Amino acid sequence: MAIKILKDLKAIKLPKPSAPLPYFITMHGRTFTFRDLKHVLGAADISKAGDRKAGLAATDEIMREAARAVLSGLTLQHFFDNPLTNNQGQIDSVMWVNYDIDHATFATIAHLTFGELKDDLLKSTGAHIRQIGVALTGVMVAALTKLLDVHELVLLAKKLKTGASAKARTVVGLPGTLSSRLQPNHPTDNLSGMTMLLYTGLSMGSGDAILGLNPAIDNVANISATLHHLDKIRRETGAPTQICVLSHIKTQLACLKDGAPVEIMFQSLAGTERTLTDEFDVTVELLDHAYKTMQTSSPLAEVAENFMYFETGQGSELTYNKHEGMDMATTEALCYGLARRYSPFMVNNVTGFIGPETHLDNHEMIYSCLQDHFMGKLMGLAMGMAPCYTLHSQVTIEGQQMATELLTAAGANFFMDVYLGTDRMLAYFDTSGHDDQTLRETYNLRPAPEFLAWAISRGIFIEDADGNVQRGANWGNPKIFCTAEGKFQESEFQRLQESVPAIYGFENAGARPSNRVARLMKANQAIGREAIYADLRPAEIGDIALRELHTAANNKSEHLNDPALGAMLADSVLKTLKAEHNDVQIVISDGLSAEAIHHNIPNLLPVLLDGLNSRKLNIGQPILALFGRVKLAESIGDALAAQLIVTLIGERPGGDALASRSMSAYFAYRLNDKATQKAAADFSGNAEIHYEYSVLSNIYSGGLPSIEAGSVIAEKVFEILQYKAAGNRLENLMQHHLIPH
Amino acid sequence: MEAPVDSAAHVSINAVSACVKPNERVHLLGLDFGSTTSSALVASATLSRSSASGRMEFSDTVIEFRSEPVFTPFIGQTIDIVKVTALIHYWLQQSGLGVASALNIGSETSHLNTSIIFSGGSIITGLAAQADNAAALSKVIHLIVGDSVIATADDSCLESWLAFMGSCSALSRYHIDKPILNLDIGGGTTNAALGINGDVLETGCYFIGARHFQFAVGSYQLLAVSNYGAAILKDLKIKATIGDTLNINECEKIISFYIKALEAIVLGNTEFFSSALAQAHTQVAIQSYDYPEPTITFSGGVGELLYQHAAGGALASTTFFGDFGIDLARAIAHSPILSANLNTEQPENKGRATVYGLTLHSTEVSGHTIFLPKPDCLPLRDLPIIAKLSLQSPNDQWQRAFSLAAKRELGACIQIMGFDALNHDKLLDETRALAQKIKAHYSANQMTNTQPLLILIEANIGKTLGNYISDWGQCMQNMIVIDEVPLRNAHFVNIGRLHQQLVPVSFFGMH
Repeated sequence: MAIKILKDLKAIKLPKPSAPLPYFITMHGRTFTFRDLKHVLGAADISKAGDRKAGLAATDEIMREAARAVLSGLTLQHFFDNPLTNNQGQIDSVMWVNYDIDHATFATIAHLTFGELKDDLLKSTGAHIRQIGVALTGVMVAALTKLLDVHELVLLAKKLKTGASAKARTVVGLPGTLSSRLQPNHPTDNLSGMTMLLYTGLSMGSGDAILGLNPAIDNVANISATLHHLDKIRRETGAPTQICVLSHIKTQLACLKDGAPVEIMFQSLAGTERTLTDEFDVTVELLDHAYKTMQTSSPLAEVAENFMYFETGQGSELTYNKHEGMDMATTEALCYGLARRYSPFMVNNVTGFIGPETHLDNHEMIYSCLQDHFMGKLMGLAMGMAPCYTLHSQVTIEGQQMATELLTAAGANFFMDVYLGTDRMLAYFDTSGHDDQTLRETYNLRPAPEFLAWAISRGIFIEDADGNVQRGANWGNPKIFCTAEGKFQESEFQRLQESVPAIYGFENAGARPSNRVARLMKANQAIGREAIYADLRPAEIGDIALRELHTAANNKSEHLNDPALGAMLADSVLKTLKAEHNDVQIVISDGLSAEAIHHNIPNLLPVLLDGLNSRKLNIGQPILALFGRVKLAESIGDALAAQLIVTLIGERPGGDALASRSMSAYFAYRLNDKATQKAAADFSGNAEIHYEYSVLSNIYSGGLPSIEAGSVIAEKVFEILQYKAAGNRLENLMQHHLIPH
Repeated sequence: MEAPVDSAAHVSINAVSACVKPNERVHLLGLDFGSTTSSALVASATLSRSSASGRMEFSDTVIEFRSEPVFTPFIGQTIDIVKVTALIHYWLQQSGLGVASALNIGSETSHLNTSIIFSGGSIITGLAAQADNAAALSKVIHLIVGDSVIATADDSCLESWLAFMGSCSALSRYHIDKPILNLDIGGGTTNAALGINGDVLETGCYFIGARHFQFAVGSYQLLAVSNYGAAILKDLKIKATIGDTLNINECEKIISFYIKALEAIVLGNTEFFSSALAQAHTQVAIQSYDYPEPTITFSGGVGELLYQHAAGGALASTTFFGDFGIDLARAIAHSPILSANLNTEQPENKGRATVYGLTLHSTEVSGHTIFLPKPDCLPLRDLPIIAKLSLQSPNDQWQRAFSLAAKRELGACIQIMGFDALNHDKLLDETRALAQKIKAHYSANQMTNTQPLLILIEANIGKTLGNYISDWGQCMQNMIVIDEVPLRNAHFVNIGRLHQQLVPVSFFGMH
């Protein structure tokens, strides 16, 4: 078996960082100056929301072409010699790993400019392109990608289809195949709900890449339970595939140690060390440890050649403001340079997952997906794609479907199967089993060979005399797995069905859902979308007098596209506020769903105020702040010197009409005395901490109804004020009955 | 991929635990002591909110242990408590809930960790439910298993309800518009229940069963005849006594009576039950219902045999079990009325339907925002449901209920009706009005802080209602408000211990 041995980090040949160089070019009478290589790369890409926010995107087409002209004239050696450093001028660990390249091949191409390299690759076959990819760092791959148009991104990626496969229990990514990850996410990790979604997906020929669940709760007990459950379903159905629960790598290592079937190990990656370590709590050393552990301890150690599963997507570094001045495509390529070290079984790209602050619309999302797929394939990865969207961006299902068509043409290894495209846990929209089958039929593709043989044996597919694979009689019929002694078990099917929200139905029209099911799904999604764009109507939230304050976001568009604006009051407002020193300040904001406020506040606010008044607390007049985010609590708390800020805010709608009215209550406790601040700093390890947070979510008629939520919030306020703490420190103090004096 | 939740960007937060822990399993125990046989079932399940009903329910149920039915040990007419004790210990040990050292026959000490049982039920029927037997059984169950398991004796309608839920609950929800009539035919009784979309609408109980006539195995030589059997012999003018062998013609006449009675139940033929013999065989008549041609299903021991037969399985030889079970199964299969759905609809659990129903359906799970100022007051057993009231109920009914509650030192329960159908706009006003009404009557009747007063309500408003009644926990510490529990026609209710912010609620004395 061809299992990769990790190269010692110290053995990776690195250039010495030097001061960044500016780049100049004159085009059509205009002279452009780019401060450094990062700005050249940023400006050379199409304009995307995240790069615009970071000040990296070109301001017009001529500037973009100027940057591309600069790139076209730079050599690979120049890029090797001028590493993109972090804000401290150092090569971070992710960049470091990216320099683990094939130096012998690099020596043969180092003299080429990126323009020459592009032309060379377009004239080449897949084998040559693959060989070149191994000799490139992520930054080089990003630079090349900025010079490619849509046809070139599709064409070059397609040439890389051969050789992009990886092997676990099944081989995924072979030419002529399109696989899928079956994603049975459930909002409460309900095992029956997962079973229903797994049965449904398997019956649609999905899941040959992996049965992979995003858990709602990331702890060892829950992850172990779900791993064992996925393993049970895999064994019972006989489907030749592998399983994964996408929890943190540390949790999975603990589960593996406890004997849980961690067949493939998952981790989200980032393209800068600060994002990777500060936000994802992962280091290269930890990834090395996990990889080595899997080689010896995975249940698939005897059969697999690849053990890791990574997810990436343009924009996460930028969202955390830890992108070190690099554009989104470049940090994405750096993720691939890191992933390459571990020869993963799957890399899944979920560009579009974050929202409009990174990708505003279909154009931006589709192009980024094509870039990412090509970059990953060029760097030798087994790339699958999850073009997806959230309802608060302007990306739509039509744009997502166009992306999948193009990516299938480009040879993506796999897509997701989220039943009817609606993720019931993560409140976003992805590809479905119907989409996967539609694409297989359109492009004459098959699932992985081992899985196909099983699916034919179950009547899910049939293979005719000419070797064409078509849907069989059992395609799309999950009932085939609800049987005992060969007979359909209605009761079992009923129980499973009742455990999944937003299921809408199982009728199909060929490879597509029936029109009835599609209309139901789309109508629910439409309500979610409208919840985001609906304006807050103060007259509809009861008759309690509120004071209206403005955030720094002037309108809905600014609010959706720049989360930082909604996290602060407008300067003009701040000037008018004075310290009030109240015990509690309630803040109501539309957040991402004004409808959540309309539906919950009329019953919740009176109950909450009655509860707080029963304890004779000093309560500031409740505030209504349009276009707010959770961190607005701190702006208001600091200005009014309130002890505890309770923010009632609309959450990001998902695909279920009812859940689109979901609101949360965030409790921000201001650490305004030295002893409490010190206790919080000691507990958190963050010396600068000045607020502690708790949250109560899922406030809507299908979860915690507003009338009950008013009581639960009031009781939580009593606890926070009594213990002078919020968050995990509060829970810890309560557990030990440690009431401060 | 990881990305911050949009509205919570860059905020490290701690979620308030207003929900249960996912995939943490609880154990459920069911014990069924009947005239003829006894059995036990242990299941584990998670607690989660159903997407269909919207209520907290057991989910991901796994049957951990299923005993073989054994003959209920009697010494004459008296339950053999020593053998029963050993039997319970044996079941617990086999299920993994108890330990082997508790197997000493006759031991009343147990090594069972009762705290791991979330809820359970024990039903005692027929001969086992006769006064002294029921008391002795209840005592021994309590001693061994603790107070998580509630023993209920001689509650025939509850038994019918449990048999339906154990066999047809999910099937009935699958065929959402189709009424189902389940006949649970055991040794002594036929428990009938009609349900639709998972809800039982009507129940009845008849002394029709396999063991009213007991035979020497392999023949029809009579070894014993119950009082009901004797009445049949008399009515049919069959002159047979113990030791005699019934001929085929006589057997057919007896079976024919049973089949006609079962057909009359199915057809709603009240005229059949006007005869003295048929009346004598009626413990509780199932009320007439407006659902023509319900789907007929069977459970109980005879039901088990029947479905085996229908599936082409060979039935055991004549009176293999020493009774009419096989003959009844054959005769039902030959009745066009009774066998109409035999090969189309298959209930679950069949022979063990009651104990399944007992284990998995006898307990409701409360909502997770209940009002419970003193969790240590639980469990509460045998609280009488003294009234069912709504805001619109006349004042004298409210007054009478609270007056009665004040006299009940050990506590009482009031069910509140009418809130589940309220529209959203009225809910808060009506909740406050209800709280005021309860508070006023509570104060007027001078209830003490040691008398538990349980308010049961279907709507999810328990915590807020309790807070308004008690001035946010500052008075009336004996008040408990439990919500999201469907209202039942029952005389008593039991509330188990708090677990993951939920409590188990079970009813008995159903009517």
